[in-house]
Amino acid sequence: MNVTSAVVLAAGEGQRLRPLTKHRPKPMLPAAGRPILEHVLDAIIDAGITDLHLVVGYKHERVQDYFGATYRGHSLTYHHQHKQLGSGHALLQAESAIDADFLVVNGDQLISHHTVSEVVDAHSVADVATLAVVESDDAPQYGGVRMQDDHIIELVEKPHSSEYRLLNAGIYAFAPSFFAEVEDTARFDGELSLTDTLSNLIEQNELVRGVRTEGIWRDATYPWDLISLAKTLLVRPGSIAAPVVDENVYVNEDAIVHDDATLHGPVVVGADSVIGPQAVVGPDTAIGQNVSIDAGAVVSTSVVDDDTRIGPNATLVECVTGQGVSIDAGTTIPGGTADVRINTTVHEDVSLGGVVADRTHLGGGTTLTSGVLIGPNATIHPGSRVKTNIGEDAEVSN
Amino acid sequence: MCGIIGYVGSRGDPSEVLMAGLSTLEYRGYDSAGIAVGNGSLQIEKREGELEALEKAVSTKSFSGSVGIGHTRWSTHGPPSDRNSHPHTDESNSVAVVHNGIIENYQELRDELQTEGVIFSSDTDSEVVPHLVAKNLKAGDDPERAFQRAVDRLEGSYALACVIEGEDAIFAAREDSPLVLGIGEEGYYLASDVPAFLEYTRDVVYLDDGEFVTLTEDDYIVSKDGHRVEKDVKTVEWSAEQTGKSGYDHFMLKEIHEQPTSLRQCLSGRVDELAGHITVEELTDLETPRSVQFVACGTSYHAAMYAAALLRDGGIPATAYLASEYATANPPIPDDTLVVGITQSGETADTMSALRDANSRGAETLALTNVVGSSAARECDHVLYIRAGPEIGVAATKTFSSQLIGATLLVENLLEETADRELIGALRDLPSNVQAILDNSNAEAVVDDFLESNAFFFIGRGTHFPVALEGALKFKEITYEHAEGFAAGELKHGPLALVTEHTPVFAVVTGNGENAHKTISNIKEVEARDAPVVVVTDGQSDAARYADAVLEIPETHEQMAPLLANVQLQLVAYHMANRLGRSIDKPRNLAKSVTVE
Repeated sequence: MNVTSAVVLAAGEGQRLRPLTKHRPKPMLPAAGRPILEHVLDAIIDAGITDLHLVVGYKHERVQDYFGATYRGHSLTYHHQHKQLGSGHALLQAESAIDADFLVVNGDQLISHHTVSEVVDAHSVADVATLAVVESDDAPQYGGVRMQDDHIIELVEKPHSSEYRLLNAGIYAFAPSFFAEVEDTARFDGELSLTDTLSNLIEQNELVRGVRTEGIWRDATYPWDLISLAKTLLVRPGSIAAPVVDENVYVNEDAIVHDDATLHGPVVVGADSVIGPQAVVGPDTAIGQNVSIDAGAVVSTSVVDDDTRIGPNATLVECVTGQGVSIDAGTTIPGGTADVRINTTVHEDVSLGGVVADRTHLGGGTTLTSGVLIGPNATIHPGSRVKTNIGEDAEVSN
Repeated sequence: MCGIIGYVGSRGDPSEVLMAGLSTLEYRGYDSAGIAVGNGSLQIEKREGELEALEKAVSTKSFSGSVGIGHTRWSTHGPPSDRNSHPHTDESNSVAVVHNGIIENYQELRDELQTEGVIFSSDTDSEVVPHLVAKNLKAGDDPERAFQRAVDRLEGSYALACVIEGEDAIFAAREDSPLVLGIGEEGYYLASDVPAFLEYTRDVVYLDDGEFVTLTEDDYIVSKDGHRVEKDVKTVEWSAEQTGKSGYDHFMLKEIHEQPTSLRQCLSGRVDELAGHITVEELTDLETPRSVQFVACGTSYHAAMYAAALLRDGGIPATAYLASEYATANPPIPDDTLVVGITQSGETADTMSALRDANSRGAETLALTNVVGSSAARECDHVLYIRAGPEIGVAATKTFSSQLIGATLLVENLLEETADRELIGALRDLPSNVQAILDNSNAEAVVDDFLESNAFFFIGRGTHFPVALEGALKFKEITYEHAEGFAAGELKHGPLALVTEHTPVFAVVTGNGENAHKTISNIKEVEARDAPVVVVTDGQSDAARYADAVLEIPETHEQMAPLLANVQLQLVAYHMANRLGRSIDKPRNLAKSVTVE
């Protein structure tokens, strides 16, 4: 059916992406040079839906500052979720603005406009809820789904069982009556989850329509996933904002690339960024805006976010930086597989050089052991060897 | 000082366009508002107070017709009241006029009309215009000529729009007060400021002084001295929605948060890190003068003080003048002097008059402004745009930051030697450093301790002196609390007598040089009088030791530190005003763009 309004849920922090989410919510993390949320809004608008509502909460200023009052000429209405009490609670913040069947999308996962269209097309006047279903090996870690014909018969959060091959892609069409269903849903642990409401509907034998889709669906769960998001998008037509200058090489008009610098595609260089002589950038690398990469530096398979400075002859492989990071001359982040520790969990065999969070300063000649997380706002003195994770505001010299 | 909107076209109900326009113009003035719609006879509604009062009145009636004008007013003559609101009419309600500016010879015209038996119904200078038009109509003039002959009698500054019973046209004129035409698909628009009709069109024609325009549904005709003038149609890049609050409670906070972006825009393409130089394309034909005079008002004056200090530091004699004092101070303009006007809107009357004065005395002039096509931009020999985007909050925030950067760019262009690498690095780090302050500022918590304080003082030395003045100005503008800025060293020469335990002192101290140490001595002076001290610092000196609260800024080049310190003080003013429940975006008695002298 015809749907004109979309509610985008962009209020959550994305705690597993710490330390990158210290100053901004997950939807504002970069996916090949643009926030994830910007790709989401593109998918919605490309599917023909232009009345856009954003539910914002955690570090909402960053969303508002970036997008302002409009995106691609369509006005954005912000709804504030003051406490992050679940996706259902987030949705209720937009209730007053919606009076017809509407789309709901997670603001922190990459989706395709085809999927949005498929969900909207399948949703009918008689339906309360329709959702997109994607086949994926990752289903056990997300919302696992079981279907019968065209409807959902089971919805389980993180089933951790390989029986589940289908996942809930977080793209929904709802009837206005769905708000009342959310309000009637019991809170679990103080939180009100959309999927609990959907499970209740299924239990009550209400028809929850499922739409199997082949469209792209990508999530960044951990910081290193930002590298694979960039890789995916750099070879996906229409995903990169900057003009193409060579095959899979995108350079913004306001960037300055020295004649003696080398760009290996797939790569994107954002506005006002500067690449010095003999620097080598790429492949599989996304450089944000106002970044400096000095002479002779080497950056590959990495995400370098806005305002970051990379000094002469530094090497970054499989690295993710936050914003405003300074990496001084001769620093080495070598890449390779490592066991990465996040809080008390260890993730084995991750390809990750290192994560350097917002406004962290790595002094000249610093060397990182693969897989360490540093910052935000940490200071590493010149010549240090960093072998373990370094927390916020910490100062390290050795 | 006021806002004007006009519309001729096929939309059916002009009141919609007029009310939408007035609401975006509201920041220019807001003690009364009104509209006049022509459909055979004239239908007029006007109300004292904020725009809501008029909106209520308009919503209960139906308007139809093809032509209308509207106005929001900020008092210069006569107290705000329904009868002093625009539009003003003649005695028979057949001519309605909205006016922005001041008619200097209105008393003489009023006396003359009164002698002829005309009865005035308001105290305003503007009301002479509809009476003059009506008089000319009675004398047999056609409407266009009646309007033009009336305008010919006026002395002073004006943007005028007039509708006449039975005429599907707007007659308008401009002299020293901004007026812009919009060319839309469903008709023509007229406004004192572009955002008023941006919802409908981006194609605009800027009127020049002395020009008349007649707008009908089919055409617009611009003329000057009786001859038709061909005008360029320009396309503006701002979108109407950019004037929305994007989820913030106040434009001011939105604009404070926009600074990383607006600074990026200001710097984009002007700083080349690889080549190590700063170039401003607009200024390539600007020669280095032997001396520079800055003229500006309010916040822009503080940017002028900063700019003058930088130039003097670079060996070029430079002085900042308050534009309203420039004519009185009457400084000699030596040969080869550049006079720089700093004005956000490019329409500030005091600054424009100082620039015109300088121009008439043969000086080269330069405008540092935010508004493309503004009077300052068009009348000066050179223009440097600060590219901050539209600013709606009356209290200037992002435009001040961009003025400081504009000043830096200008100074680097004027100085012969090449820019130092550290400054270039600091300019490139600026958006990130401002973002760091926005992410981490504790200003909101700091002001909580001072809700009961009597007065607020701001001190700084060198380039932090203008920051102290600006901190105090912002604070007084929107909190309505008494606030003063002083050069730190001046405290002991008088103001210290005001310092008590109930007067918090905000001190700006960065670096660890002589200026910092001297300011720390001044902090100790006020500390000894039990005043609470808030230090804005980059942590290089030990100033924090003497402070009751600290507002931190990132360490940077000394030339950029004032800008960063100012961001903390913007947040201090905002959060204090918010705690006190003030009307932050529209403080009492103030207007955004001051187009009267």
